[in-house]
Amino acid sequence: MCFSQTRKRPWHLKSTSNPDRAGPLQKKDFGDNELGSSGLSSCMHQSFVLVSISALINCHPELLIRIFETPFFYIYRQNWNEERSVTVQLTDEEKRMEAGEYGPGTQRAMELLVKYGDSFEAKLFAPISYGHISYDFCPEEFWNLMTEGVGKTLHRVTTHPSYSPEVWKKWGLSLADNWADEHQRKLKRFLELGWLRTETCAEYLLGIMPRKGDIVSMGGSCMQVANNSLFGARVDRIGVLMSLAAAVCGRTPLMGLLLPENRYASHMVELEDLDVSEWTITHYHCLGYYIGDQVPGFKPVVLNGLPRNLPFDFARALVISMPTSGSVTLGHIVGTTPEAPTLEAALGGKQPEQVIRVGKGEMTRTWERLNVWDDDVVEHVAFGCPHATIDEIGRIASLVEGKKLKSSMLIGSSAPVEALARRQGWADIIEKAGGHFQPVCPSITNPFTRPDIAGENQARSAATDSARSAHYLATVSGVKVFFGTEEECVNSAISGKWKGEIPRWK
Amino acid sequence: MEIRAHMVSAGKAEGEAVVYKGPFSFLGDLDPATGKVPVPRHKLEGQVLANKVFVFTTGKGSSGGDFAAWIAKKNGNAPAAMICLESEPVLSGAVIVTGIPTVDKPDKDVFELIQPGDHVKVDATKGTIEVVGK
Repeated sequence: MCFSQTRKRPWHLKSTSNPDRAGPLQKKDFGDNELGSSGLSSCMHQSFVLVSISALINCHPELLIRIFETPFFYIYRQNWNEERSVTVQLTDEEKRMEAGEYGPGTQRAMELLVKYGDSFEAKLFAPISYGHISYDFCPEEFWNLMTEGVGKTLHRVTTHPSYSPEVWKKWGLSLADNWADEHQRKLKRFLELGWLRTETCAEYLLGIMPRKGDIVSMGGSCMQVANNSLFGARVDRIGVLMSLAAAVCGRTPLMGLLLPENRYASHMVELEDLDVSEWTITHYHCLGYYIGDQVPGFKPVVLNGLPRNLPFDFARALVISMPTSGSVTLGHIVGTTPEAPTLEAALGGKQPEQVIRVGKGEMTRTWERLNVWDDDVVEHVAFGCPHATIDEIGRIASLVEGKKLKSSMLIGSSAPVEALARRQGWADIIEKAGGHFQPVCPSITNPFTRPDIAGENQARSAATDSARSAHYLATVSGVKVFFGTEEECVNSAISGKWKGEIPRWK
Repeated sequence: MEIRAHMVSAGKAEGEAVVYKGPFSFLGDLDPATGKVPVPRHKLEGQVLANKVFVFTTGKGSSGGDFAAWIAKKNGNAPAAMICLESEPVLSGAVIVTGIPTVDKPDKDVFELIQPGDHVKVDATKGTIEVVGK
């Protein structure tokens, strides 16, 4: 465990321009002793300056930081930073959090956020419009450490897909009970905090979405990339545990994709000799998975040459597949996404660092790579990665109407979308055929394929139309995976056999 | 030989090097129950990362990486230390939360200087990597 109860830190900005500081923080950087009287007066001075100016002109401290970045303040900052090392500048409220005034959970969360912000040389924390976390996807020990003594938060917090052990048990999944108690304890605490039980990786389908420019902290790389790319929210890449710390404190380090200058694409993707006019969602999943593998780090990427106003489902499939094979957290699509009205706007007027060309060969190899199977027996079919839209459920219902499924079928969807599907009569059609709905992650915690949930009833092979799902079913559950179109997947659930084919690219 | 690097997560550890010139995710690329790489067709498929010094390029993949790292660490199946070219937020969060000593931005070419099987000492707090050899 790495929660320091004793660490004191000076409230300093750190010089990022000093080449000697390329190394790590030194022990002396943290000690109280080194913070002599001159250091103390100096740090109080800068703290006072920032807070006073910010209060006087009623602006967000971020704006002040920008002012401090100007050449006029350069010399001032040099003096200021002489003996500094720790980077994140805390407000009085944040100092109270770190000092434990809001209880041990908030204190631990703030300590983690400070270490995290320091490692990226962030200068400030930004208040979040809302937070998105995962309570089921969080070890209970960590959940308890972070939420101990935390009261109701002023900001909204929502949650990622959750578990349903009581339902899993009804489905005959023999190890479901192992998950029940921990789930119940965490859920109880989640509701005590006044947080919203959205239980989905596609909250925008519930009408809960950030506006363009809103700063949001989100666990779940598919949430991050979708809200960043499709709505223009400012969401940085962050892990699910660290996002719980951010939700508890209502703060996230101001860094990475929260800063407008980091949101321009550095990598550009162009399609070569590919006609996309007959592409399905699955084709866009495949393209996104290839791109994610090609872009180094989590550099923003722009796709040029796709039809303008790409349908939402296609755009979503494309961007959410990228952080599976790589770390892309912002994917602009020229003519479709809000920060890419033109290629120039997405690139910020600069030349791309790298142009990635995708042709028939790349698409074929990616499609083949996502298929990991030997015989053609399909024991399970997983839909809803990311959580299904009402249109997707409607299409699946029309394909299975009057049929009986040989394989088990799980559609990951939020409860409100499932409720709408029920009102349409589609949920009943799918359930009558043998399919199931759950607000679970059908990829990472698919109860049918996870040996630690299904026990001896584990499905050993699964078909999916999502590259993200294919990736995690193979790697987390260790089952054989068939990757193909929605129609191929539904047909395989009906016949129990895979007849999918590599597309003939045009 | 000593290589200097930037601290991502404090602490020090040493062990046998496993080298992979590509990105890594705790979720998917490391089986927390065995400490091995479970990915079919991966260059490191079947190799043990538990208690090794893992050298790679950067993080990638799901934001559940820190969750997976926590489980691996609790099972004693996390790498002893990690060295990468440039960290990214999910990886940094994972190693900070679990306390795995980790450095990035090494000042020399670690893929040239560290061979698989070398004994490597990482002092993340000081920002140093020492290659002791086999």
